[in-house]
Amino acid sequence: MNDDSRSRIMSKVRGSCAGNEAAVIDQAREALGSAPSAALPHTDTCIAFMTNVLRNQGTLDVAPDRSAAVKMIAQYVYQHYRSHRLVAGNDPRLAAMPWRDGGVLPRFGELEAGEQIALSYAQWGVAETGATVFLSGKHNPSRNNFLPEHHVVLVDADSLLPDLETLWQRVNASMAQGDRPRGINCVAGPSSTGDIEGQIVYGAHGPRAWHVVLLGEVSAEQSDTARALHAGE
Amino acid sequence: MSESINPRVSLFVTCLADLMRPSVAFASIRLLEQAGCIVDVPLQQTCCGQPGYNSGEYEATIPIARQTIELFEHAEYVVAPSGSCAGMICHHYPKLLDGEWRERALALAEKTFELTSFLVDVVKLESAPAVSTDLPPITYHDSCAGLREMGVKDQPRQLLKTLCDVEINEMQQSDVCCGFGGTFCAKMPDISEKMVDDKLRNAGNSGATLLTGGDLGCLLNIAGRARRQGLELEVRHVAEILSGDLYSPAIGEGD
Amino acid sequence: MEQHSQHFKENAARALADASAVAQRDILALFTPLMREAAVSEFGDFAALRDHVKKMRQHTLDNLDYYLARFELEATNNGNRIHYAETAEDMNSIVLDICQQHGARKVAKGKSMVTEETGLNDFLQRGGMEVLETDLGEYIVQQAGETPSHIVGPALHKTQQQIREQFLENHDLGERDLESIGDLVGEARTVLRDHFLEADVGIIGSNALIAENGYSMLVTNEGNGDLCANLPSVLIICTTLDRVLPRAEDATAIQRLLVRSATGQPQTCYTSFYSGPRRAQDADGPLETHIVLLDGQRTDILASDYSEMLRCIRCGSCLNHCPIFAATGGHSYGWVYPGPMGSVLTPLLTSLEASEALPNACTSCGRCEEVCPSAIPLPDMLRDLRHEQSVQKITPASWRNGLRLHAWIATRPRLYQALTGIGISLMHRLGGKKGGFSKLPLASGWTSKRDFPAPQGETFMRQYRRRSQSNER
Repeated sequence: MNDDSRSRIMSKVRGSCAGNEAAVIDQAREALGSAPSAALPHTDTCIAFMTNVLRNQGTLDVAPDRSAAVKMIAQYVYQHYRSHRLVAGNDPRLAAMPWRDGGVLPRFGELEAGEQIALSYAQWGVAETGATVFLSGKHNPSRNNFLPEHHVVLVDADSLLPDLETLWQRVNASMAQGDRPRGINCVAGPSSTGDIEGQIVYGAHGPRAWHVVLLGEVSAEQSDTARALHAGE
Repeated sequence: MSESINPRVSLFVTCLADLMRPSVAFASIRLLEQAGCIVDVPLQQTCCGQPGYNSGEYEATIPIARQTIELFEHAEYVVAPSGSCAGMICHHYPKLLDGEWRERALALAEKTFELTSFLVDVVKLESAPAVSTDLPPITYHDSCAGLREMGVKDQPRQLLKTLCDVEINEMQQSDVCCGFGGTFCAKMPDISEKMVDDKLRNAGNSGATLLTGGDLGCLLNIAGRARRQGLELEVRHVAEILSGDLYSPAIGEGD
Repeated sequence: MEQHSQHFKENAARALADASAVAQRDILALFTPLMREAAVSEFGDFAALRDHVKKMRQHTLDNLDYYLARFELEATNNGNRIHYAETAEDMNSIVLDICQQHGARKVAKGKSMVTEETGLNDFLQRGGMEVLETDLGEYIVQQAGETPSHIVGPALHKTQQQIREQFLENHDLGERDLESIGDLVGEARTVLRDHFLEADVGIIGSNALIAENGYSMLVTNEGNGDLCANLPSVLIICTTLDRVLPRAEDATAIQRLLVRSATGQPQTCYTSFYSGPRRAQDADGPLETHIVLLDGQRTDILASDYSEMLRCIRCGSCLNHCPIFAATGGHSYGWVYPGPMGSVLTPLLTSLEASEALPNACTSCGRCEEVCPSAIPLPDMLRDLRHEQSVQKITPASWRNGLRLHAWIATRPRLYQALTGIGISLMHRLGGKKGGFSKLPLASGWTSKRDFPAPQGETFMRQYRRRSQSNER
């Protein structure tokens, strides 16, 4: 760091600021309150999440248990690649999945160039944005979220959060207990671009497809409502 | 009118109505009187100062602002048949002036209105003497300052509906600038030309043969370009239409 | 970047002469506001969001010393190296130094308007680096040897056909059709994929720097920025010191505003927060991360009457809603930032003389301010810049004198009414029959493109005085 540049810049910045005490500044900030969040498509967090996943051009499966999830993932992989291969992060939750039930044999680790499908276990899902959230770390290589052609995501129904404020409460709480994750990736759809004549095309540099498997107790009525809300657009 | 005392209105004529189209000011007086107002016209008025102000000639504009404030601050209401002149008084005089003058500017701003919004929102004019309803298809250009500074959008449409029984043929992008912009149209004629041509194309596509609006600056620009292009588009100020004045030549039309 | 703003009018005339480009801009000007409007109306209380973010951003700028110091502390603790760059040249040198220290040859770059401002690519290339823009729009523009025409959609001025020809010429991939936009996107994906994997250094910008935890927010749709941030072993974040925000939830509020305002999406495909280099236990990520904070006149703006401009979040909404931007396109503005925000920033970041036309490229229509997510009073700032131009005598003397004369006469009502009374009657006599003038002395700017409508008759004031007098009698 060039200390001279730093001190000159800092002194210019200070010259334009009131120089208030930290407590005064913090109090002024708290007084501003928080921002409103986006209106949800449904009051039920799970329905709202599923609706927004579909609106984000994601595809969606709902699995009541892990065995069903494995079968659905197997079916998705076979349907797209006529194979049973995929790459999954070293997440113990993924390792513990009953892969044999679906006849899938994942390779655990980082996606290498040329491999088509990655499976990630999302830490949370956010209803407001229909995003799945990943914290990078030992179990979760970030590249697996961006390099594959197809990104398959498992998310627990009981890890769904209503909005981004709740997400940050959880992230901050988990940070308070340990290290800050290097990367927090909110993924809300297949990669896209509108850079040519404003026309939206999927599969820009990241995954061409984003498939979410929601694991847990989700009623048929909830799924139907989400699909109807999405179709009603 | 629910109150028994008639509102007293001082008309801010605007320089363009004064110089280019007095019929707009006379029409405004008739409409205000129909609405039960007692109208006076302060005789010392000239211009609100927009030409200099918008070009950044602040120091030269300050005396104009003070003159206007002195002339109108004792009025009960001030009404102008122009969103941009009303916006100048309401929003820009307070920015231009300091101290006591700023307070006086803010007080004047409180009681200053654009014509159609005054007629609808304040005195609630809902009927008028029978005027010719034999109007050609008509479209409305939302002048920028009226729309964004004075909140004029539904009021002229509502008046055209209730007083003249006319539905607007809405044009695409009615709320996009016509390219006038005061001195802009003279400083950057090529860009202004493109903008006014877009306005004329949208107006034409609406099926209307009469274009109206609440600001003479825009209407002079649109009418002047329509004439240059040889287009059959009649252009009139909305006050003229609302007061039934459809027989004098339209803007830019020969006697 | 080299500046051509002084030729704005000539640039605009040229842009307006290209009918197919005009038609393409017209379509964008029609549909981008509709997209934003739809996203805003679905949000809920967008006005409250906008108001909140405006206040939060202003609060941050008012206490920028505090938040900047906090960000520096947290980001350093996260393992980043922080660099301060006073000028564009400083930023370029710092980045090249880092690349050279690592013996880097290939650089993969995400979208960053700040590095357009500093001309980083040219500088790195002169320093022996192979630099590839990876945002599709930026890639197209870089390959064509052009500059971005829009801060969000850099290549929106180009047609599908032009891009197809460009790709066929530049990519040595044999016979192929490239008939659809999807084909073009796919080809860029293929070409850039190897570059991502081989790059030694990744460079990205930042949408927000979070003081409380030292994270940097990156909002993208393509995923290229995240590939730049995750694959190469060195990551450099190039940004400016005014991007700092107090808390993560403030960055989140910006995210809500930014995306809806920029593209009309409720959110982008990817919103990422990066804290620093790979941790010991991490499976992947860069080994070293640098954050280069550019001043580049921001501290001058902070100290000026234009400090509110630092609330700008670079969404491009003011461009999409500006009828002058739609008419002329971004390149006419002749520097990095076009449209209303550019017409304010360019004079402040370069000079008032070199940008003379830009503050005048405005009708004060107010559409930009209406949609600005940070509620920046852009028309007021542009008018204030015109005022400064007048004070500094950059405005032509004929304009200044003419407007001052008008103001002088307008404050003398008797003189004003006498002069206008005579002048208007004369004009009516000369032009009333025909209805207008096709030429008028002193009004050539007006009459070059439109007739000057003739006055209706006598001035209102003359008629009104006469009527009042006859009524009194």
